[in-house]
Amino acid sequence: MSHGWISRRLPLFIILLVMGAVALLFTSHNQRFYRRPIARVEAVKAGTVQRTSDQFKNIDHEHNQTLTVRLMNTRYRGQRLQVSNTYSDSQPMDQRYHVGDQIFLTQLRKRHHQLSANVAGYKRDTVVVFLSWLVCLMLIMMMGRAGSLALASVVVNSLLFIIAIEIDLKNNGQHVLLIFGTLAVIFTVVSLLLILGPTMKMLATVAATLLGTFLALGLSLLVFSWTHERGIYYESMQYVTQVPRPLFVAETLLGSLGAVMDESSDIIATLFELKQLNPRIGRGALFMSGRNVGKSIMGPLINVLFLTFMTETFTSSLLYIKNGNSWGYTFAMNMSLGTVQSLVSGIGIVLAVPLVSGFGALLLGRQKK
Amino acid sequence: MTTITALGIVLLILMVAVGGKQGWTAFLSLILNFGFLYFAIVLIAFHVPPLFVTITTGIIILAITIFMGEDDLRTTVTAFYAALIVTAILIVLIFVVEHWAMVQGFGTEDSDDLEGMSILIGISYFKVTVTVTTLSTLGAIAEAAMAIAAGLTEILQAHPEVGNRQLMVSGMTIGRQIIGTTFNTLFFGFFGGFLALFIWFAGLNYSLGTIMNNKIFVAEMIEILISFVGVLLPVPTTAWIMTRRRHKIADKQDS
Repeated sequence: MSHGWISRRLPLFIILLVMGAVALLFTSHNQRFYRRPIARVEAVKAGTVQRTSDQFKNIDHEHNQTLTVRLMNTRYRGQRLQVSNTYSDSQPMDQRYHVGDQIFLTQLRKRHHQLSANVAGYKRDTVVVFLSWLVCLMLIMMMGRAGSLALASVVVNSLLFIIAIEIDLKNNGQHVLLIFGTLAVIFTVVSLLLILGPTMKMLATVAATLLGTFLALGLSLLVFSWTHERGIYYESMQYVTQVPRPLFVAETLLGSLGAVMDESSDIIATLFELKQLNPRIGRGALFMSGRNVGKSIMGPLINVLFLTFMTETFTSSLLYIKNGNSWGYTFAMNMSLGTVQSLVSGIGIVLAVPLVSGFGALLLGRQKK
Repeated sequence: MTTITALGIVLLILMVAVGGKQGWTAFLSLILNFGFLYFAIVLIAFHVPPLFVTITTGIIILAITIFMGEDDLRTTVTAFYAALIVTAILIVLIFVVEHWAMVQGFGTEDSDDLEGMSILIGISYFKVTVTVTTLSTLGAIAEAAMAIAAGLTEILQAHPEVGNRQLMVSGMTIGRQIIGTTFNTLFFGFFGGFLALFIWFAGLNYSLGTIMNNKIFVAEMIEILISFVGVLLPVPTTAWIMTRRRHKIADKQDS
């Protein structure tokens, strides 16, 4: 692209590059900040191999390996010890280690001048830091100010999310819906304030987003009670430490919020543009334009959420099928909740179209005399 | 009637009421995507190589999402090519990152759900993770590519004489307008789905160091960050494809 673009962005690019290098260097040398023992694999000796099979005729192999590792923190830092590790071909919860890998150890102790420990997992923080840096770099270099604001909104929302979870825990899981419902309102205001700035447009988008999201949720809950929640298996929900049903509703609410916000801001932006081009435009015309914009983006948006919700269940569905379960049971136990989430979000996304268009038209359009 | 059927019918009625014929095709694309996703699981269960399943299912899902979402050929064909290029780049990136992070399979937090299951199924969970991560970003890629392509088509229709460099700049400008809200869609989509896990982490007082190395958390972060890359890459790619293809389709439609 143009020469000016490169010379303008070059200093920023170098700064970001240096910051990335420093962050990567730090995360690959931050062992002293961990209380858990971390060691580096220095040599690997392959051991025995055992063939396994189960009653579903799944065949796998279990391998033993002896690792010579050197401790990188704790008071035994620098000392070597040997640990044994078992891994399989498919590596579902175990994994094969290679020379140079950094691993966590547990039950590290010294007996008769001999250190012993068990392998407890792989050090992964460097990857997260690298990818986060890559996204920041691309965002800021490609999108400039808009990119930085998008980044800021993600960071602020993450912090709000953590605070809400703390409040939820303080209440021992009571009032889940109240807490995360309020959070949804705050999320909407903060995100749109950052993206659109404190304008009339932003207020209109906030109102439309909240109206669409909560109306869809209300409608879905009505359907829930009409059908007595038949076919929704809350017991299949993962990682539940509180009452699952309100948690599920809160998850669905938050999950659809972003998409409805996305759509509302697109429609409202178009309506404001139309109003600017033709200040005398009527309400009916505005409503129809809003609907036209909305109906072309609703399909792709629902597909975005559908794919994120459903691929989440991919691995466990595969496991169910390989354990001799029927396709129907596999669906019920793994995918039913994801499907409900996709459908509720879809309803929110579709309902938002007439709501946002109508709202924008009322706000901007001239009444026909 | 089960709740899923009822919700599906409500969604169908609303989509047709709001979007007419376009609403109907959008609903159909959702059903088809579900079918191909489930089919992908079955194929992998029958030991078809996961990478092959990823590529074929990926192309099919992209085609369904893009060609059934919009009618204008200049928009869809451009978006489709751009999405294919971006997906190819992303598969390489996903392969490298997943290999580095080793987050395949299940974490210790999954132990309860896995009770009584035989997890040694003889299929590489690493390859399955590459499949999952790739498929989960397809929607985001398709949506971003479509938004850019549709905006540029509009510009080309209003000003057919616009230069290639200006077209690239316009593509980036449209990208800037959509990036904030698209990030929100993905952020909430992912974080909403993992509310329960985060409550688990906070409730059991996981330290920052534990969370940053936790298999499930890292897998989730990789998915969300890769999908962020998946909406950023289509912006210049789609604009570039549009500069290549602008005359091709314009000429065809004229003749």
